[in-house]
Amino acid sequence: MSQIRNSTFLDVLLWLLRQRQRFRVEGVSMLPLLLSGEEVLVDRRAYRRSLPAIKDLVVIRTPDQPNLWLIKRVISTRQDGACFVQGDNLFQSTDSRVFGWVEPPLILGRVTSRFL
Amino acid sequence: MLSLKTIATQIKTWFPAPIVYAHCDGPCGVYDPAAARIAAEAVLSMTKKILELQPPDGGDPKAMAAYENTITRYVQIKEEQAQLAKKELLVLWTDYFKPVHLEQFPDLHTQFWNVAKLCSACKVEVSLQHANELMDAIEEIQKMFWATKNRMDVPWYKAS
Repeated sequence: MSQIRNSTFLDVLLWLLRQRQRFRVEGVSMLPLLLSGEEVLVDRRAYRRSLPAIKDLVVIRTPDQPNLWLIKRVISTRQDGACFVQGDNLFQSTDSRVFGWVEPPLILGRVTSRFL
Repeated sequence: MLSLKTIATQIKTWFPAPIVYAHCDGPCGVYDPAAARIAAEAVLSMTKKILELQPPDGGDPKAMAAYENTITRYVQIKEEQAQLAKKELLVLWTDYFKPVHLEQFPDLHTQFWNVAKLCSACKVEVSLQHANELMDAIEEIQKMFWATKNRMDVPWYKAS
């Protein structure tokens, strides 16, 4: 299971410059990597020049719940940029196994680090 | 000097971040209208028993006490189970069903509103008609529920 690094001074600076967005994690599907209540920083421009890569942590929406942001891990990618995502905690996660591939417009960005 | 950790804590408190869900439905995605059906069956059964129970003849205080005890227990169970049926239905309505299902079943809200009102009616009254209507309404909810999962193989059955 891949790790997530802690934020550095540069990450905080990027956040202050609005190049990163903070999110607070809620739920258990990313255990043991992310605990409920932890915060992460997200690069919303991450996939403008490159496609999502396998093992990336991403923030997405799903077609059936357009009001929720979800945090998941990319398991597989398609040529058009769509992702198949899963939670690290496979037994307690609602993910692409339920809602299928996530199309590029529903991918908000890549998680770059924990927030402090 | 203020540590980075302290500053971070202050930032998190003063400027709450939007929430991103490490999402797990339910927490495990397990929903089933059977829970409401079982409660509604208990309501129907208690309604029948209340209606069938005969008060004792004459002025035997012991027989009267036994009668009142039994009827009170029936009433209490009917009240509880009607409330439970309503709770189980509301969980399906608010937690399981999503806007996309509303497209498939445009009268979804009306159905849930009506079935919730039937639960209340069964709780307040001793009405065989309403108790039967409640079972029928839950059967309709069950059909709708399994249709959203493309499961046409789930039969409607009763425990009693």
